[in-house]
Amino acid sequence: MTDYFKYLLSPAILSLHAWGMWMGGNYTWIGLAALVGVLCFDAFLPRDYSMRDQRYVRIYDVICAMTVLASFGNIFFYAWLVGSGHFETTASSIGAFVSMVFIGFVIGAPPVHELFHREEFVLRWLGRTGQCLIYDPWREITHVVTHHMRVATPDDPDYARRGDTVYGHILRTFPGQWKEAYHLEKMMWTKRGRKWFDPRNAWVYKAATLVIFTGILYALGGLLGTVLAILSLLLGPRMMLEVFNYVNHYGLISATPGRFEKHHTWNHISPLTRILALEITNHAGHHEDSYKPFYKLEPDTNGPVQPQFLLVVLLAFVPPLFFMMIKPLLKHWDQHYASPQEREIARRENERAGWHELNQPDPVNDLPPGIWRVAEA
Amino acid sequence: MLKQKAPSAATRADLCRITVRGKDGSEDVFDIRRNDLLLKAAIDQGIEYPHNCRVGVCGTCKTRLISGRVSPMVDLALSPLKNAEIEAGFVLACQAKVRGDLVVEVKLGHHTMLPVTTVSARVSRWRKLPGEVIDLRLALDTPVHFHAGQYATIAESGSFTRRSYSFYDAPPMDNGAPASEVGFLVKRLPGGRFSEWLFAEDRSGTKFWMEAPFGVMGVDEYDRDGLCVAGGTGIAPILSIVADRLRRSTTAKFTIVLGVRSATDTFAEPYLRALVDQAPDRVRVVTILSHEPEGSTWAGPRGLVTEALGPELGLDFAQVSAFICGNLGMVEAVERKLIGLGVAEERIHADKFIPSGTP
Repeated sequence: MTDYFKYLLSPAILSLHAWGMWMGGNYTWIGLAALVGVLCFDAFLPRDYSMRDQRYVRIYDVICAMTVLASFGNIFFYAWLVGSGHFETTASSIGAFVSMVFIGFVIGAPPVHELFHREEFVLRWLGRTGQCLIYDPWREITHVVTHHMRVATPDDPDYARRGDTVYGHILRTFPGQWKEAYHLEKMMWTKRGRKWFDPRNAWVYKAATLVIFTGILYALGGLLGTVLAILSLLLGPRMMLEVFNYVNHYGLISATPGRFEKHHTWNHISPLTRILALEITNHAGHHEDSYKPFYKLEPDTNGPVQPQFLLVVLLAFVPPLFFMMIKPLLKHWDQHYASPQEREIARRENERAGWHELNQPDPVNDLPPGIWRVAEA
Repeated sequence: MLKQKAPSAATRADLCRITVRGKDGSEDVFDIRRNDLLLKAAIDQGIEYPHNCRVGVCGTCKTRLISGRVSPMVDLALSPLKNAEIEAGFVLACQAKVRGDLVVEVKLGHHTMLPVTTVSARVSRWRKLPGEVIDLRLALDTPVHFHAGQYATIAESGSFTRRSYSFYDAPPMDNGAPASEVGFLVKRLPGGRFSEWLFAEDRSGTKFWMEAPFGVMGVDEYDRDGLCVAGGTGIAPILSIVADRLRRSTTAKFTIVLGVRSATDTFAEPYLRALVDQAPDRVRVVTILSHEPEGSTWAGPRGLVTEALGPELGLDFAQVSAFICGNLGMVEAVERKLIGLGVAEERIHADKFIPSGTP
């Protein structure tokens, strides 16, 4: 039964964060501290390839839905606290804001992603509406359609090529997603023979959801509460999701777009990351079947693995360090995971990035075979 | 007709029974695992399910769902299906996750399914033809089997960019022998990532990767007369099919209607001439020009390719097999016209060009 309760970690941190904000003062940092503490502890744990108990799977769904609802409660609570002048000191204001940013990303976004992939109407509706928590109800369309279809190719706006920094990626990915989302929405209303403003169009619903969400924030927190709440969502879950995308397929190459193979993604298999991120870091399973609920994902026991999630995300913000970390792993992937055709693309991508050393085998310093196989982990 | 194919790895409870009804009254039954993609699972079992791109953009695997439940991987409004088709219960098999027993309507092929393989190759011919077309031939490092009218996906070594083109060759004469060299007709598309690269310089000797074969265009009785309608480089699979059928049948006759823009678009001439020379009394070619300047010396028909289709062809439309290849709009217009002329729907075989979606 412990498998089920593991996923209560997210709502527990959310509750602690809410309590910290209510207490005010330096307690506002407590949510962030708990989150970072858990992730730091996680960095020292061995990889976890276990499967989840499947006997009472509804419990997982309830916890997941509850986390989305609690995240809504959290952002509304924050807007209200800001609007009512609850944070009296600069330290408490910054603490609450920074905690909102990181908790919104690590705890708020994964269940939203999980649910908008689901087939059950209520869960999917909650997932789609939950995209208010990343302040972008359009994120789903380019994710489900474009990203999952074109993963590990430059035709996926979510993909970062070798040599791309996270800053360049953010500047490219947003316009790419907007263009793609417009193209897809337009195709849907055109195909159905509707005018662009037809209320039955998906974008109208999404826009209306966002307006209502913003209205609630305003009613609770006034102008300042609304602005800070939205800013925390944009800087937190919205932007950090792109950092997650940046690392998660970084530099990997698919020669078969549309046909995912497990080596086309990185995984983060440490136990607490798996729990907090609702298994999304167990990424091969998710791409193999994007309808599969998080508790059914099977960790790939031979799949490419990056260092611990928090470390990788932090490294991403310092490109020289990120490149230092990722280059040997990419070289290992090229040598042991890429198909012959993918290896040739990788060779050109390395040249494009100026990473010529990745094309030179170095038996002494190259990583040995089997570093990602579970038996040798 | 009833055939049973059961995968061995799954237990009975995991399996869904798929009943495929053809318009000709045929019925095929096979089992696939619950939650598998309908097309992929069928192909993996060697079932000749009509398909092309396998990623939801070409519409070839269009299937009418008569009963049962599938989950489309993407909103079907984002696929080539028309809204009326979606409302009538059509789905794309490549995007359909099977959730239970199904009864579907689709026309399965009954040829031997050939395994799809990825092989390396070198450009053995790079020749510019009139009308901004390149004859691209690849010498394959590992020979590949294919059926007439099928196509391949090719990519330059080291490039992410892949494009699909039909073979213009007939499969090798020796029955069952693989081809060690294959040819494609590549039209230059302004701004197109692959075709502009290919046109930029002579690519002879360049290494390529080819994944093939795909598609099930050429299925039908070999002795039946054929009406082949092509737009531009859509002539490629037609060349393959007609050459193959001329060898397989001693009686079948073929009318090839080719639509091009102007009289200078003569890229297909040598290939068509070779076919006519092979069987002068069994192959006839009608070329129709859509954008030929007024007052030119062209004495043949002018207009869209559909305008060349009519009683003046002197065909028994109720008896012919039709093969169509061109862009989506052209193929759909020709299909409508042929059905109006009395061609049986199940004997219309079409291959639609769909832009890659990326420049």
